[in-house]
Amino acid sequence: MNKTSNMSNETLSNVQETTEQSSRRDFFRKTAAYSVSALAAASVMAPVKVNAGDDPAIMKEQPWATSLGDPVTKNQYGVPSAYEHNNIRRTSELLSSGNWEASISMCPIHESEGIITPNGLFFNRVHGGVAQINPNQHRLMIHGLVEKPIVLTMDQLKRYPSVTRIHFIECPANGGPEWRGPQFNSIQFAKGMMSSAQWTGVYIKTILKDLGLKPEAQWMLAEGGDSSHMGRTVPIDKVLDDAMIVWAQNGEALRPEQGYPIRLLLPGWEGNLCVKWLARLQFAKEPFYAKEETAKYTALKPDGKAIQHFYALEVNSIITKPCPEKPWTDLKKGDLVEIEGLAWSGMGTIEGVDISFDGGKNWVEASLKGLVLPKSWTRFSYMYKYEGKPLILASRARDDAGHIQPSVKQERAVMGVESVYHRNAIHTWEVTEKGEVNNVQVLS
Amino acid sequence: MFKSCHKILLSSVVVAATSTVAFAADKTVSNTYSNGKKVIDGGATYPIVNGKTSAYHINENTLQGGYSYARPATPNEMKAWDIDVMPDGTGLPEGKGTVEEGDELYEAKCTSCHGDFGSGSGSFPALAKGNAYEGVKTLTNQRTNPDKDGPIRVFGTYWPYASTLWWYIKTGMPHNAPLSLSNDDVYALSAYILSINEVTVDGEELDDEFELNKENFMKIEMPNKDGFVPNIDGPKGTDNVRAYFADTKNYGNGTRCMKNCFDGKPEIQRIQTEIGGFNPPLSTARDLPKQEESAGAVSEGQKIYEKTCAVCHGNEAMGAPVLGDKQAWSAVLKKGIDAVYKNALNGVNAMPPKGGNMSLSDEQVKATVDYMVNKAK
Repeated sequence: MNKTSNMSNETLSNVQETTEQSSRRDFFRKTAAYSVSALAAASVMAPVKVNAGDDPAIMKEQPWATSLGDPVTKNQYGVPSAYEHNNIRRTSELLSSGNWEASISMCPIHESEGIITPNGLFFNRVHGGVAQINPNQHRLMIHGLVEKPIVLTMDQLKRYPSVTRIHFIECPANGGPEWRGPQFNSIQFAKGMMSSAQWTGVYIKTILKDLGLKPEAQWMLAEGGDSSHMGRTVPIDKVLDDAMIVWAQNGEALRPEQGYPIRLLLPGWEGNLCVKWLARLQFAKEPFYAKEETAKYTALKPDGKAIQHFYALEVNSIITKPCPEKPWTDLKKGDLVEIEGLAWSGMGTIEGVDISFDGGKNWVEASLKGLVLPKSWTRFSYMYKYEGKPLILASRARDDAGHIQPSVKQERAVMGVESVYHRNAIHTWEVTEKGEVNNVQVLS
Repeated sequence: MFKSCHKILLSSVVVAATSTVAFAADKTVSNTYSNGKKVIDGGATYPIVNGKTSAYHINENTLQGGYSYARPATPNEMKAWDIDVMPDGTGLPEGKGTVEEGDELYEAKCTSCHGDFGSGSGSFPALAKGNAYEGVKTLTNQRTNPDKDGPIRVFGTYWPYASTLWWYIKTGMPHNAPLSLSNDDVYALSAYILSINEVTVDGEELDDEFELNKENFMKIEMPNKDGFVPNIDGPKGTDNVRAYFADTKNYGNGTRCMKNCFDGKPEIQRIQTEIGGFNPPLSTARDLPKQEESAGAVSEGQKIYEKTCAVCHGNEAMGAPVLGDKQAWSAVLKKGIDAVYKNALNGVNAMPPKGGNMSLSDEQVKATVDYMVNKAK
C-alpha cells in the first residue's frame, strides 16, 4: 500500500527506476482512467441551472468531491480536521502561579460530546511543567510499612491484571474563582478544570496482596518523579477500595500531560490527589503534611478553620447547551431544542438532575441519557420549546450517596466565600431575549 | 444501569422527603466498607456482588495476589528516594544555617519570583505578609463586599507545620532547579522565611545571627497549627476524617425543593468585572486557521528564551517586559540596544545576570535579546 500511495506524489521517471515497473504502470493507467471519469462527471454536472433558494453547498461541486483525498500514509497518528482548530484547551495568566510551568489549561467542555474527553483536550494542571519521562528509566517504588518493599519497571507493572474504568478527573478549584460572584462569561473558564476518560491500570490493592501491608499503616504518600516531586497523603481506606495506578487513557498510553508513563487514579477525588508521573508510594502510620495538602487544597471556612484532606468532589452539574460559547441566537420561536448538560459526583452515582427556567424557584426533572456510572460524568437532557423569552436556566444534580447540589445561598452559609476549593453550588445561565447566554449567580 | 428503575424512583422520593441516605437492600451500593466502617469521604462504595462492581464485570481471581514480577527495593534505593520530611522530624537531616545566610541565598535565588522580603511578585506567591501571629487573625475575614480585606494565607499565617516548608524547599525550589540546594542552604532559607514572618522559635525572636538546625527545628510551633479540621493525627486520624465527611453539615448539602422554593423574583448577581485575556481568544468558528507568519526554523535566541527567559518574560504578572508587548519593549529600548544588552548580561532590578543562566555566553545572551526585541516589532 505504501508504495502505490507514494506513487501519486512521485514523478514518472522516478517510478521507472524501480524494479516493479509493470505493476506500477498498471497503477498509473488506472489513475489516469479515474481522472478522466472525474472530469467527465464534472462536465456533466456543470450546466445544471442554479435557482435562488438552492444551496450552493449542494449545487456547486466541492473540491473534496472531485479530487483525491489524502493517502493513508499521511498522519500515521491521526489529527482532527483543520476546521476544528478552535476546539482546544485555553489558558489564562490569571490562573497561573507565576508562570506557565505552574499553571492550568482549561478543557473546552462546550465542545465535549458524551462522557469521554479526547486525550488531546484533557485539562492539564502542572506544578513543575509537563515532564517528558523515558519509560525505560522510570521506576515505581512501594515501601514504608510493608513487609516486602518493591521496585517495579513499567513493563513489570503492566504484567498485573488490568482493570478499565470511566472516571472524570476534576481540579477542586474548578469554579473556584467564582465564590464571590461570576467572573467568566465562558463555560470553558467557569467549569473547564475537568475532563473524563476511560482509564486502564491496576488496583493498588491487587499489588498489596503480596507485599504484607502492616496493620498500623493508615496513610500512603504518593509522590511524582517530575521536577515538582509533588506528594499527597491518601488514607488506606481509599487505597484498599478503588485506588488505581493507571497507564492508559482512552485505549492508548497516558499523555505526558496526564503523567506518562503512570499516574495515581483515586476515582472521584481531587485531581491533585491523582499524582502524575507517579514514582513512589510510601505507607506510614501518620499523615505526611505535604505542601499541596496544607498550603493549598484546603478549604477555609468562615470560622477561620480550614478543611484539610477534603477528598471527594461533591455532586455537581452544569448545562453545556446552551452556554456562553454555544448560545441560542440561531433559534426561531417555536423551535424544539434539547437542553443538555453534564452531572457528576465524586461520592457516588448520579441519581437525577432537575432543571429550572426561573432561577431556581421552580424545578422539573430532566432525563439522564447514556451510561450512568459511579464517579463519572453523566449526561442529562430536557426537551424545550424555545419562545424567545428571557430565562434563568439552572441544573441541580443529586447522587446515590444522598447528596444534593446546594444553592449558592446554601453553600455560602456553610463555606463562606473564601474556600477557593470544592465549590459545587448550582450554576445558572441567563438567556436573553436574543438567545445570548451569560454567566450569573442566583443569591435567593 | 446496575439498579432497577423502580429503585431509582423509590430512592429519589426518599431523598426528597428526608435528605437522608437510603442505601439499596441489594448491596450493590453501600455507605460502609466490608470491614463495617463508613466510607471515608462521605460517599458510596460499590462492593463486588455476583462478579460485578456497579456496572463493571470483574474477574475476582485477579484480586487474590500471587504476583512475582517485582524485585525487592534495596535499602540504598529507599534511602535515595525517601525525600519527604514529616512533622515529627522523620526525614529531617542534620544541617544548619543562619537567618543572614538565608537572606543572602534568598536574594540570589528567590527574589526574582517571590519578591523582596517574601512580598511576592506578579502571581508568584508571597511568603510573608507582616507578623504571622497577627496574620492568623485575618483567617476569619470574608470578602463579602469588595472593600473588605481577605484572609492572609502565607506560610507564617496558614501552614500548620514547618516540616512542610523544609520538604518543599528541598524538593521543589528553586522552581527551575529543584534538588539543587544543600541541606545547610535549606536550613538557612527556612530560618530566613521564619524570620520575615516574625515567627519565634522556642520563645526566641529570630535575628540575623539565629541559627536553625535539626534540634531547634523541632521546637518550631507554627501560629496556625490548630487551624485545620478534621484532626488527622494519631491512631484515630482516619476515623476522624470518616466522621467529618459523614456529616454534610460540615461542608454543605442542598435540598430537593420543586415548587416556590423562595419568595419573589430571584436575586441575580451578574459579572462585575469580566475576566478575559484568554489564550487564544474564545471562538467556536469552523474555519481554517490563519497561516503562521514565517514558520521557519527555531532560532537559537528563541530556544534560549523558552528555556531561560520565558519563566519571567512570558507572563505580565512578573513585571518583566512580556515577549511581544510593543509598548513595554519600546520603553526598554529608549536607552538603546546596548543598554538592553548590558542589563541582560549584568542583571537589572529583579532580573539576575544572564537571566540566571550563567552557562550562556555573552553572544548567546545578545542573540536572545535580539529575538525578544524582534518579537516586539
